[in-house]
Amino acid sequence: MKTKGKLWLIFGPVIIAAGLLILLLSLPIGFGHFNSQTEKKAAVSLSPKVFRGRKIKQQALENGYVPFFGSSELSRLDEFHPSVLAAKYHRSYRPFLLGNAGSQSLTHYFTMQNLGTQLKGKKVIFIISPQWFTKEGQRPDAFGFYYSPLQTIDWIINAKNDTADRYAAKRLLEMPSGRSSEIGEAALENVEHGKPVSEFQKMFLKFKETILLNEDSLFSRFQLNNNLAKVQKGEKSLPAHYSISKLNHLAVKVGRRETTNNKLGIKNTFYKTRLSGNRIKDLKDSQTKLDYRRSPEYSDFELVLNQFAKWHVNVQFIIPPINARWADYTGLSIPMIRQTDQKIEYQLRQQGFNNVLDLSDYGNEKYFMEDTIHLGWRGWLKVDQTVNPFLTNKQPQPNYIIQNRFFSKNWQNTVKNE
Amino acid sequence: MINLQPYGNPMYFVYLLVGLLPLMIGLYFGKRFVVYQTIISAIFLLLIFGGSKWQQGLALIGYIVYQFIVVGGYAVYKRRANQTWVFVCTVILSIIPLVIVKITPAIQVGRQSLIGFLGISYLTFKSVQMVMEMRDGTIKKFDPIMFARFLLFFPTISSGPIDRYRRFQHDYIQIPDRKHYLQMLDKAVHYIFLGFLYKFILSYLFGTMMLPKIAHIAIMHREAFFHTGISLALVGYMYTYSMYLFFDFAGYSLFAVAASYLMGIETPMNFNQPFKAHNIKDFWNRWHMTLSFWFRDFIFMRLTFFIMKHRLIKNRKRIPQVAYLANFLIMGFWHGVTWYYIVYGLFHAGAIIINDYWLGFKKKHRQLPHNRLTEGIAIFITFNVVCFSFLIFSGFLNTLWFSAR
Repeated sequence: MKTKGKLWLIFGPVIIAAGLLILLLSLPIGFGHFNSQTEKKAAVSLSPKVFRGRKIKQQALENGYVPFFGSSELSRLDEFHPSVLAAKYHRSYRPFLLGNAGSQSLTHYFTMQNLGTQLKGKKVIFIISPQWFTKEGQRPDAFGFYYSPLQTIDWIINAKNDTADRYAAKRLLEMPSGRSSEIGEAALENVEHGKPVSEFQKMFLKFKETILLNEDSLFSRFQLNNNLAKVQKGEKSLPAHYSISKLNHLAVKVGRRETTNNKLGIKNTFYKTRLSGNRIKDLKDSQTKLDYRRSPEYSDFELVLNQFAKWHVNVQFIIPPINARWADYTGLSIPMIRQTDQKIEYQLRQQGFNNVLDLSDYGNEKYFMEDTIHLGWRGWLKVDQTVNPFLTNKQPQPNYIIQNRFFSKNWQNTVKNE
Repeated sequence: MINLQPYGNPMYFVYLLVGLLPLMIGLYFGKRFVVYQTIISAIFLLLIFGGSKWQQGLALIGYIVYQFIVVGGYAVYKRRANQTWVFVCTVILSIIPLVIVKITPAIQVGRQSLIGFLGISYLTFKSVQMVMEMRDGTIKKFDPIMFARFLLFFPTISSGPIDRYRRFQHDYIQIPDRKHYLQMLDKAVHYIFLGFLYKFILSYLFGTMMLPKIAHIAIMHREAFFHTGISLALVGYMYTYSMYLFFDFAGYSLFAVAASYLMGIETPMNFNQPFKAHNIKDFWNRWHMTLSFWFRDFIFMRLTFFIMKHRLIKNRKRIPQVAYLANFLIMGFWHGVTWYYIVYGLFHAGAIIINDYWLGFKKKHRQLPHNRLTEGIAIFITFNVVCFSFLIFSGFLNTLWFSAR
């Protein structure tokens, strides 16, 4: 009896702790509501934790936030950034930034998987960069960085036997992340081969989903960074009332002030930390061989379009330019870029995505780009002139016609001539 | 096929507990289920070295066969004769696989040797120890099955602690009585949870959250202070890395010791509050203890005796100094054939020699003050010297000075 008591003293606390933990994670509890400050922080955090999660995004989108899908340009949080302008001039919408360096179509496709209810019939902004369309397409390590087991499970549970879902399963299985869990991998292989996901797989995945959801709602509010402070600082330097000429004037002034240490029109801090010294010399004519016209990314992008069409989402696309002086210095081919943009636009317009703001001719404008390939000061203002009316005014319902040919290898390798 | 890295994630502990439960019940009732223990050990080894790591698994099997021939062969020989050259050759043969694994990446940059596997160093320490103790006559009988159990004891296979054969054999045969086993279980649970704190919280905080950010800032300042890269961020890197290194390795060691305890084997502890050390010698009695004791017993002591016996060095003061130098140089090479591991070894040899001078000086001048303040100063100096040595060890200076340019 005495030793039994001792056994209980040793293992009792462990058993109780483990039991409580299992209860906490496996019961569909939900765990309350985020306050508006957390929403605000998450909307500009650009944090993979937010992209991977679900609850903060869902709640924010229900409260007037609009998803801005994109990549590294979203992190250029200067005073003319869409998030700053929307807050300063009390617009009816607030951007919820989804994307950062390395996030491309495939990441966005999975990020939106558990936002169906919030996105159906709504408007979104999608900044699509030619730089995504490399020969190799989505880099597996970058995909892994944003990979969310939760979204993958949500996707698998709702997957159908159609071209898009079979293609998505195939792509996911090409990434190490897609093979990170045994049962998930087996379920994905079923989807890829047009077979239904088994009841056991579904049951297991649903159980895992509950755990992941509880983790998401318990922990995703922590460690949000302080990008919000940058936004608030930006707001202070803007004129009190919206005036396009005043803002343009200010953008020129700020741009001139911050691009003084180089001749490429690149922001001083970026140039100093990333390009100064010998690095800039090594980059001369370093991009002559780049070609964005043939890429698996075109079909990954089609997945995104397919999803928007299914949910009748009204999308404003933005194709940003490339800093022309930078392109010239590194030998990036402008005709190649033009053909890339045309191929993207063709894919969009053929299927009824007609809200396309193609800025590729603005690469030469002063203070339009903040550095090499990222929109800044005047560039953001230009974007605002399309984004603001699109989001503020009532828009006609789009009529999309999805064409499966854009999932083919043939399309990935087609070059569109002028 | 699944692959599991030892103590890598919480699930491993669930598998471990489930797998060991029958064994624990047996030990509680005073019995060791040898067949069960063999089977469960084989399963865990298969999980660690199977799946995507199958090549390592093959290397491990080849290595075990090889060591059996070397160590077993020496045992057969030792019954008939005791020539020194045979002993030396056996030790060399026993070390050769490890030497090849360590030298391969230095010769063919970035290539890993095909005969390597996770934990090869630790198995080599165990094999060499067998040969040496057989030479000494402290191990008289070569029991191949016990030797296999000793080498392949799965809780410590990947990174120690390094146990001793006779101690292990004793624990394996002599089952602890119930009172003692309960104490071991108590400690095991405590160590596992302390390990969770160390490895999954503190090591994560220092190593995963802080270190990459500080490294980035330090690399940004690589032109600072006359192009040496010496900056506040580098100092920050030094302390952060030191904390990460300790909590990561100490956490892992706690897990390994705890798992051993559950199996009724009292694997020795690896760390004893190393940052409280009063001097470098004290530090090596507290840091990675099973390794430093192994080096002490099988390199330092033997070399010292060898030098004294053959009167190689006249000046008695020089003998330990030479032995330290050799000892730490070998330890440096063992970590890997790169300049920073070797400099790390030399640095510690230098530090311990200086420390010896200081201790000698203190002995002569008894009037020197000794109080809490001087002890505090001693701990502070030792801590900083150690952290600096870890900065060398981290290889970050190599990145900062050579590869980041």
